[in-house]
Amino acid sequence: MGRFDTRRIGQYGLVLVIAVTLNFLLPRLMPGNPLALIAGVDVGLLTPDQRAELVTEFGLDTPVWQQYVRYWQDLLTLDLGYSYRSGQAILGMLLERLPWTLLLTGSALLISGVIGIVAGAISAWRRGGALDLTLLTSMIGLESMPAFWLGMLLISGFAVSLGVLPSFGAETAVSGLEGWDRLVDIAEHAVLPVLTLSIVSTPGVYMTMRYSMLEVLGEDFIRTGRAKGATERRLLFRHVARNALAPVLTVLALRLGYAFGGTVVIETVFSYPGLGRLVFEAVGGRDYPVMQAAFLVFTFAVLAANLLAELVYPLLDPRTRASA
Amino acid sequence: MTTVNNRWAALLLLLVLVLAACSSTDDTADPADDGGGEDAAASDEPDEDTDDTDTDDPDADDTDADDTDAEDTGDGATVASMRAAITGDEGTLTPYTYVTGFPGWNLLMLQYDSLMQIDVDGVPQPWLAETVDVSDDGLTYDLTLVEGVTWHDGEPFTADDVVFTVDYFLANAAGRFSRNLGAVTEATADGDLGVTLTLEAPSPSFPLSTLSDVPILPEHVWSTVEDPETHQFEGPNIGTGPYTLEEYQADTSYRLVANPDYFRGAPTVEELVIVQFADDAGALAAIRSGEVDVVFDQIAPEQVDLLGQQGTIEIAQGPEYSSQLLYFDASKAPFDDIAVRQAMSLAVDRQDLVDTVFLGAATVGSAGWIHPDQPTFNGAVETTTDVEQANTLLEDAGYTDSDGDGIREADGEPMSYELLTPSGDSLRLRTAELVAAMLADIGIQANVSSVEQATWEEAVWPGFDVANGRNYDLAMWGWSAPIQADASRVASLVHSEIEIGSLNLTAFADPEMDEVAQALTVEGDDATRTELIGELQSLFAERLPFVTLLYPDGAYAYDAAVYDGWAFVNGQGIVSKLSLLEPAARP
Repeated sequence: MGRFDTRRIGQYGLVLVIAVTLNFLLPRLMPGNPLALIAGVDVGLLTPDQRAELVTEFGLDTPVWQQYVRYWQDLLTLDLGYSYRSGQAILGMLLERLPWTLLLTGSALLISGVIGIVAGAISAWRRGGALDLTLLTSMIGLESMPAFWLGMLLISGFAVSLGVLPSFGAETAVSGLEGWDRLVDIAEHAVLPVLTLSIVSTPGVYMTMRYSMLEVLGEDFIRTGRAKGATERRLLFRHVARNALAPVLTVLALRLGYAFGGTVVIETVFSYPGLGRLVFEAVGGRDYPVMQAAFLVFTFAVLAANLLAELVYPLLDPRTRASA
Repeated sequence: MTTVNNRWAALLLLLVLVLAACSSTDDTADPADDGGGEDAAASDEPDEDTDDTDTDDPDADDTDADDTDAEDTGDGATVASMRAAITGDEGTLTPYTYVTGFPGWNLLMLQYDSLMQIDVDGVPQPWLAETVDVSDDGLTYDLTLVEGVTWHDGEPFTADDVVFTVDYFLANAAGRFSRNLGAVTEATADGDLGVTLTLEAPSPSFPLSTLSDVPILPEHVWSTVEDPETHQFEGPNIGTGPYTLEEYQADTSYRLVANPDYFRGAPTVEELVIVQFADDAGALAAIRSGEVDVVFDQIAPEQVDLLGQQGTIEIAQGPEYSSQLLYFDASKAPFDDIAVRQAMSLAVDRQDLVDTVFLGAATVGSAGWIHPDQPTFNGAVETTTDVEQANTLLEDAGYTDSDGDGIREADGEPMSYELLTPSGDSLRLRTAELVAAMLADIGIQANVSSVEQATWEEAVWPGFDVANGRNYDLAMWGWSAPIQADASRVASLVHSEIEIGSLNLTAFADPEMDEVAQALTVEGDDATRTELIGELQSLFAERLPFVTLLYPDGAYAYDAAVYDGWAFVNGQGIVSKLSLLEPAARP
């Protein structure tokens, strides 16, 4: 067990170092002037002296390995630098947006997880029946809907035409609301984006659950269960669903990792102040320090979620415990 | 301001709520739909309460509010609260942290004032400085400040603040203000209200480029600020402007409150809430649903008619002083040949571009570069489209199509070139496609190549330094208002010497134009300047350092039922303190 853990942690450490290194190298390998990456389009109007000053300030005149060392030092002290656009500390910018992103992606993960699992289980149980076919075709239909299109459709329906829900933001700007009223306001703003995100992410969970169930249903122990006279309900929930859940939970754990990345499309359509929107604006404004930091956070989150899935899997499926 | 902790707590509670809702749901039901329906129904009423406690302006209540307020102020209508949409975050809106030139600078200047202020025609007028006197040699500016102006914190505004501002921006170089003040060698105070600025060299555009642009900082606040780009101020930014920034939530909103003691009189809108959107689609949906009252961002040409027909939404339109230009490297064949440049200019049907791409929301480009709405425009300059004449020009100059493939040859090589355009700008891309079709009519093949912005810039303007040369044949280009609105900038666009022609991206060289452009940078006499600019335009139209295609108009959507006092400032649009002051208080 101990040896296994050390090896695994070593592997994750290696992946992390590679990711950080790539993150360091990418902006330096991209076409274009590094000054433009730091100072933006205004750089064209700077005098040569002012340009030279910038180069020195950002250490662009030092050898690459020195820049690399400096990059690690900053990283280890959680100094993610400053946005060149607004001068704000990037760590603060990320922390400010993270709760909003987690609210969206967390709620949607929960909703799509529950619906996907339940619908997938029912579908597989009634395989080939009318219910299964209805569910399957509607899930395929939902999956093929682009998120931005669905979001815009919901905005134009619920916000513009009916006027019952807000079309943008995480809460009413400058509302002065507090306590319960503020929560209601936040929930109201979350409805459309969470709904959109849930709709587009449910089919994936559903498909995984359905196929995983079908596989389990074909196994010998189900026949044994039937033979010994277990009720259908008990069979479905205690034996089949439980065994079919492991791959689904892996999918969900990975999605938890991606959840930190926010959902660029949905946060943009709904002007939601999350991490995805931060990345969208950083890309649009070519704010490379912010992009780099955000990508790093996503890398950490995905790796952590992977690790989590690996740790949880043996608990669900005893067979994998022996594999070490 | 909301703290992060607060938000985490809210998030936690919400997650618990969602969890509770989900656990009680039936297997077959759709919790997402249920939750959505309930939320919407339950919160209908609180939502309306919100608007009321907000002293927001629900459209219905608007006229009432106007009436009562009108009695208070005696004239004009004041609005209690207005919501404006912007796209993208603008940071903490200090002179060192605002993000974009538009609308960031415009919002910054709601809190601060400059010594001069441009009027609706884009001409600088006295503002914080009551009088501005220039010496005959153009090197000394003597200013007298308005008496009795106070900072937002009640401290008096004096000449020392102006001197401090100049010194501070020069000592803490970064961005536009330090750059603009670069020509100032000395600033001195004379008593409380007198200021003298000494320039290194005469700069006729100083009132426009600098005095009307640089925000004046309070010495008692900024003297202790060592790292202005990352400094976190406690409380609102202190300026002399008509508004104070009371609240800022990143990626969400700003709340600006009127300064009742503003030296030109209290502004017309008491509370201005600026809501941030991720893209213009969101902002447009919000003005249609009535969630915002004005969009502080230009709307696309195809939206103008659509929005204008909607309820009380109206469109304010005017010149932006931005441009769509056809660039080429005039240092190499065949673009070094004036006949080729003239033929290209004759080949483009500018009206067609305006009508087809911009649906009329643009002004036809003048071959002389200066916008027709600018006071210095030379009406004698003609801009013509004549494909036949263009073909004759090329034919006479020896560019013939010998192999009959419809493409002429220059020195035996087919006249086929890549036309670079940035992929992020769809209007520019469409313009490029049409220009390519027009050039095909005169036997020049332009292959439109839509590339990432950095690649495009690197090709036309490598390292943002003309000393690095150029790596392109044809490209779409454009300059923003600060360059176009200022006629004396023309020298930097066309002068053959790198020091003066720092923006000469077409590698244009013409001794006669060098001479006129150079004279313009030092000439202080207005009449002579206008004459020189006029002469330059004639030369421009003949020698063609580049081909001016069109000038996009700025168009802004606002709900006229909420506020109708918008002033369109040529070259700046409606986002200006002028829009929020009584007409009599405007310059």
